[in-house]
This record gives sequence, structure tokens and C-alpha cells, in this order.
Amino acid sequence: MERPTERGGTVTGVRGALGLFKMGAPTHPIFVHFTIALTASSMIFDTLGFLFNKASLTAAGGWTLVGSALMTLATLSTGLTSSTRAPVEEGEARSFLRAHMALGLIFYGLLAAVTLWRLALWQGGAGVTWLYLATMAAVSLVMTVQGYLGGELVYRYGVEVEQAYRELPEREAESAPPEPASSSPRLSPAEKRGGGS
Amino acid sequence: MGIPFIGLSPFQWIALLAAAMTMLLLADAFAGHYRSGFALRSQYAPFISGGLLIVSAAAAAFVPEAAWANLALRAAGWLAIIAGAVGFGFHHFYGMAKKPGGYKWLLHYLMYGAPQLAPLALTATGALALIAARGLAGEASFAGVEIRVLLLGFVAVALAGAILQAGILHYRGAFNNPAMYGPLAAPLLAVFACAWTAVAPSGVALPVLAVLLWLTFLTGFVGLGMHLRGMGRQMGGLYLALFNWLEGPPAFAPALFAGLAAVGLVTIYLL
Repeated sequence: MERPTERGGTVTGVRGALGLFKMGAPTHPIFVHFTIALTASSMIFDTLGFLFNKASLTAAGGWTLVGSALMTLATLSTGLTSSTRAPVEEGEARSFLRAHMALGLIFYGLLAAVTLWRLALWQGGAGVTWLYLATMAAVSLVMTVQGYLGGELVYRYGVEVEQAYRELPEREAESAPPEPASSSPRLSPAEKRGGGS
Repeated sequence: MGIPFIGLSPFQWIALLAAAMTMLLLADAFAGHYRSGFALRSQYAPFISGGLLIVSAAAAAFVPEAAWANLALRAAGWLAIIAGAVGFGFHHFYGMAKKPGGYKWLLHYLMYGAPQLAPLALTATGALALIAARGLAGEASFAGVEIRVLLLGFVAVALAGAILQAGILHYRGAFNNPAMYGPLAAPLLAVFACAWTAVAPSGVALPVLAVLLWLTFLTGFVGLGMHLRGMGRQMGGLYLALFNWLEGPPAFAPALFAGLAAVGLVTIYLL
């Protein structure tokens, strides 16, 4: 199977660079970083604002949380798009994918709830409390687990990168059936095709 | 009337929630009716009545002072109530009574026939739209019942229906995952707490109800995630998205729990 990523030599000009633009590239990894950064920033700003009694930091914490709640909608929708493009056969990778999909929506429910709480505090003119900060820490922990699962999908299994996971048969009809990931050492794509190095 | 929340009155929020819930239930209705090939023309009815409800509820939320928007919301609400009730009759007749075996195979058709209570979700959002329209017009009661009490009663009844339908379908799925008991936990307790608060409001009932409604809100999102996971467990997962959307668990149904809980939370915090 030819890899579509390498089509020529070193890129030396703008025209060549523009020719390599691939609008079908996954956008989920882009939006994921907004969710992670905005949620984590909100918790840090709110904690610092609470500890040092700085209204400007608390305001920043509120706005970044609202930003996260909005941007995460894009994260979710691009994640769904990505999962419809991943021809993953049953196995470890799909177990990770399923857990990642389920936890994504659970995380969003928590994020929505905590954002509503934060808005209610803002409207009532009240500052954040220890209970709120503890809840934000719990939400951030869920986000961390979710990020870990997503990271494993990309860096261990190569989902939407180079297809290191077991693919559905229709994608590699000419190749031998792949070994289960848990019962054999991982083979490079070239070895899978029986080509050695 | 009520306390505004980030610039919107409680009834504007309720109108928006009615629009959002209608959109989600129409998505599931489309999956079910598309799966059966839109065999009857009446299967298009929820999309006409529900579509009008979404547009009119959104319009009433954005221009709450406009009399035409309020009138449109009332008309769309009644249309949705009727369409849902007629749909309930159709689901019952074509999904059970007319099937081979009929009522003798009651449990089978409750599980595998057209979902019996699903059309009543449209009736429920229609009723919610009517309450929102009355609230936006400044009316504090309906048929002698205070709107706050009416909304709590609405949440209790609608949640009970959603729990019953989810219970039947999760029974069909043999409760193969412990999370499938979720709709029978906090939401069920919330039904009783809603009734308790509506009948005898007290300093004890209200905080209990608030906690249970927040848990029900989260249960909705857990359900959305688990239903997505359920689609992923089918052969091919989301790579065969259309097929598994049609054949897997109803994708958006759990969001109704979150939506109904949100209506309850608006009621207890803002009204």
C-alpha cells in the first residue's frame, strides 16, 4: 500500500507547499488543544484569583471556561467525524476508541454543568468557592483521562495517522489477516505486507 | 416573571429547551422512520409539526415581546401535542395491534415494535411550548394551577414516561452494561422529588430535588456517551456510521433526560 503522505522531494517554494495542502486532514487534534488549554487555564486562573483575591484573574477564569464550553462543541463534532473515518477492526484500538467516545460526552456534560454553575456565581456577584474549585479539579481529571485515551489512539495505534491498528478487511483486501495486537509483537506496515525491511 | 439568567427570562430558557429537545427527538424519529422506509406518509408528520415547533420556539425565545411569536408558539405547541398523540395511536396500531400475534405478543412488540411512548415525547415538548407561551405572555397560572407547580408536574410525568421507555429498551438489551440501570436511578428518584416539591414544597424537598435534577442532567450525558459507545460496539463501529446509527441504540434519546432535568432546574432556581 502506497502512503499518500510522501509524494515528492523537498519543498522549496510556496507553489509546491500550496500543492501539498490537504483539506481533508483531521481537525479534531486542533480543537482538542483549545478544550484542554481553556479548561486548565480556567482552573488555574480561578485558583489564583481565589487565593490572591484578584478579580481580574477570576474574570479570566470565567471567560476561559465559557470559551471551553463553546470550543468543545467543535471538538466533539470533529471527533465524531474522525471516528467515522477510522476503519478500525475489533481489538484494542477500538476498545480505546469506544472509551474515548463515551468519556468525551460524559466530560462535556460535566463541563456544561460546571459552566452553568460558574455563570450562576458570576450573575450572583459571588466568587468561586473551595467546592467549586474541587469540582473543577475533578472535571480536569476526567479531561486528563480523556486526553490520555486520545493520545494512545494516535501515538500507540496511529488512528488517522498511519493505520498501525488492525484495519477492516475491505481496506487491505490484498494483505494477509493482521495479528491481534495483544498476542504478537507489532509489525511495521512493510512487514505486514511480507516485504521485510 | 422570574429571575433572568444571563439575560434571558426563565420562559425564554424553557422555549429554547423545548426547541432543543424537539430537535433531538426528531433526529431519533428520523432514524426510526428512515429504517422502516417511511412506509406511511403519516411518518412525515412529526417532522412538519416538530419543525414548526422548533422555529416558533426559537422565535419566541429571541423576540419574547412579539405577539405573533407567542401566537405561533401556541399554535405549534397544540399541533405538536396532536401529532404526538396521533403518532402514539399509529405506533400502537401498526407497531403492536396489527402485527401478527397482536397483544398476545405484548412484551415482544413492546421491545421490538415501534417504540410505544416515543411519539408522546413530541406531545410533551408541545405541552412545554404551551407553558412557555403562557409564561412569556405574563400569565402566572393555568387552569388555576400555578405555573411553577405545573412545570414540576410536567417534569415528573415526562421523566416517568422517558424512564418507562428506556426501561423497556434496556430490558431488551438485557441490561448488558451496569450503566443501563442509570435511567432507573437518579431520574426515578427525581420523579418522586418533583411530585413531592410540587405538592408540599419545603426546605428539605427543594435541595433534594436540586441534587437529583443535577444527577439526572449528568445521567443524560452519560447516556449519550454510552449510546455512542454502543454504536461503536456494532460491527464496523462508526466507520459504518449510517448503518450503525440506524441499528444501534437511539443516539439522542438520553439527551431528553438532560433536557427535562434542565427544565426542572430552571423551574426551581429561576421561578
